[in-house]
Parts: sequence; C-alpha cells; structure tokens
Amino acid sequence: MELVKRARKGDLAAYDDLVRRYQERIYATVYHMTANHEDANDLAQEAFIKAFQALKSFKGGSSFYTWVYRIAVNKTINFLKQRRNKGQMSLDDLDFNAEHDPDLVALISDKTPRREVGLAELQEKLNAAMQKLSEPHRLAVTLHDVQGLSHEEIAKIMECNVGTVRSRLFYARQQLQAYLSDYLK
Amino acid sequence: MSEDTENFEQLRRLLALKRHEQPPPGYFNDFSRQVVLRIRAGERGGEVTILDQFSWEAPWLQRIWAALETKPILAGAFGLVLCSLLIAGVVFADKADVASGTAAPSLETASLPIVQASIGAADQPFLARPVSLEPSSTGPIDAAKTDELLLNAFGKLRAEPASLSFPGAR
Repeated sequence: MELVKRARKGDLAAYDDLVRRYQERIYATVYHMTANHEDANDLAQEAFIKAFQALKSFKGGSSFYTWVYRIAVNKTINFLKQRRNKGQMSLDDLDFNAEHDPDLVALISDKTPRREVGLAELQEKLNAAMQKLSEPHRLAVTLHDVQGLSHEEIAKIMECNVGTVRSRLFYARQQLQAYLSDYLK
Repeated sequence: MSEDTENFEQLRRLLALKRHEQPPPGYFNDFSRQVVLRIRAGERGGEVTILDQFSWEAPWLQRIWAALETKPILAGAFGLVLCSLLIAGVVFADKADVASGTAAPSLETASLPIVQASIGAADQPFLARPVSLEPSSTGPIDAAKTDELLLNAFGKLRAEPASLSFPGAR
C-alpha cells in the first residue's frame, strides 16, 4: 500500500515498481483473451496508464491488484466487442518447458509422431477454440484454469457472485471439450 | 466441484499448454518503462522525447534534480562542494606539474647505475680518458667530448720511413 500511496501523489518511480509487480499477470490475462501479442501489449499498457490516471479515485476498498485487473479486463472486453470477427491470432511462442510438461507429453505422445508439430498444432486449435467462447466464459477459463485464481478472486474481478463464476466456468469447459474432442481421449 | 477434477481432467491438461505461451525474451524488461514514458508523454500532451527517455533511464539523476529543486539549502551545499572540488583539482594539478618538473630528472640519474668503460691509453690511443656510458635512452653519450678526444689523437701521429726488404734482393 505504501507504493500505491506514493503513486497517488504522482511518484512515477513507485508506480514503475507497481507495474513491474503485476505486469506479467495482467499481460497474460489480456493475451489469453485476445490471442494476439500486439493487442495484448497495447491493452496491458493502456490498462496501467488508465489505472495511474484513475489512482485518485481508488478508495482502497479492494486490493490494488484486483482493481488493476478489473480495469484491464473491462478494457479488453470493450476492445473485443469492437474487434469481433476481425481479429487475427498472433500467438506467443511456447517456452522450452512445454516439451517436458508431463501432462502435455501424455496428451500428445500417442497422437502425433513428431512432438513439436503436435504442440504447435494443439496450441493453435486450443486458441481457436478459446476464441469461440463468449468473453465472460473465456475470462472465467483464463483466470481459473490458466492463471489459477480462486473463484472468489474471479468474482471480485468480474464483479459478480461466486455462483455465477462457477456456472460460467462449467459451461465454458463443456464448450471447449466439444470443440477439442479430437484432441481429448 | 467433482466435475472440476473428473470430467474435465483431459481439458485441464490441455489448457496447461496456455501457460507455456510466453512473449519474446526480455519483453517484460522494457514494459514498465514504456508505460511510464507514455504516462509522462500524456501529461505533457505530446510524444515521448529523447530527454524523457534519458531522464527515465537514469532515475538517480531525476531524484537528485528533484531534491535540488525543492531544497535550496541542499542546492547551495551541492554547489559549494562542486566549487571546492574544482579549486582543489586546479591547485593539486599545479603542484603536481611543479613536482614533476624538478624531482623527476634527479631521481632518474640517482637511481640508474653508470657503467664506466675503463680502457687503458696504451691499448687504445684514441681513448685517452675513460668514457662514461649511461645505459639510458634519455641520457645519451656526450658526443662532443668523444669527438675532441679522437681529434687530439690524430694530432699526435708521426710519419716514419718504411723499410722494405725482399729475400734474395741486393
């Protein structure tokens, strides 16, 4: 909270520290929602800029982390509504550990003879399936299944109750399972 | 929540692939700087200038400047320290020049050994006196003295008639 207080007074060095603290999580959320690196870069930066400009209105009712998340999510959803059906995927590369992830190895070992091709194909299909979900459903899956946030945290970010989060999550998973049935045993 | 762990287990494994999608290496090193530069540019209502970038890349300079702006006493003290350093630098530089102009040669001659070539006059008539050779490129042999010695030796030479005799000649 000390950094937030300093940033509210216009201390950009303090705000720089805050950005560094949350940049990866905010970027990842926006990226998984848009499936486009350039869009995610712009939106994540704009979210942090808007947060700085609106810091004076931040009352501290929730944590700064939840508050910034909410700004980023609203910005992303507005962007996606304008971009609807016009977006092209620009996916980030998979890191080196993906090839050694036991879950993924088990999933693709008997499906593709060449692992690299299998992972790239899976990545594309998975992102395409995610893009077919509505924004609230995609957000629920992103925050819970990809980023590991709790139902309660997601409820605060999405400004809804925990029951709504659970039902959105269940429906989104059902949809994804149907889209990706060829890749799931 | 049993559905979470049973029905969607395969999907959960597949979704784990998303966690391995990473932006280009080093992307986050520059991210916060970009955000701050855009905020500063927005406050000024214009583009990001080179001065903005420089001042943000050297935050210590920014802090010093901010402190000097807000505290005149600190600015005065800082100026005093700078002037003192400048004057001290000039004084010490002068002293160092004076010291190097006088002390250095005497030290050199005192410390370097002088090699004396003592050759007897009987053996070498051209060298009546011993010549001191200083093994230093900065202290060459006195050429005038050696020339004088050589010319004197030529002056003492005498011509004598040569007697030639051949065997069997009368």
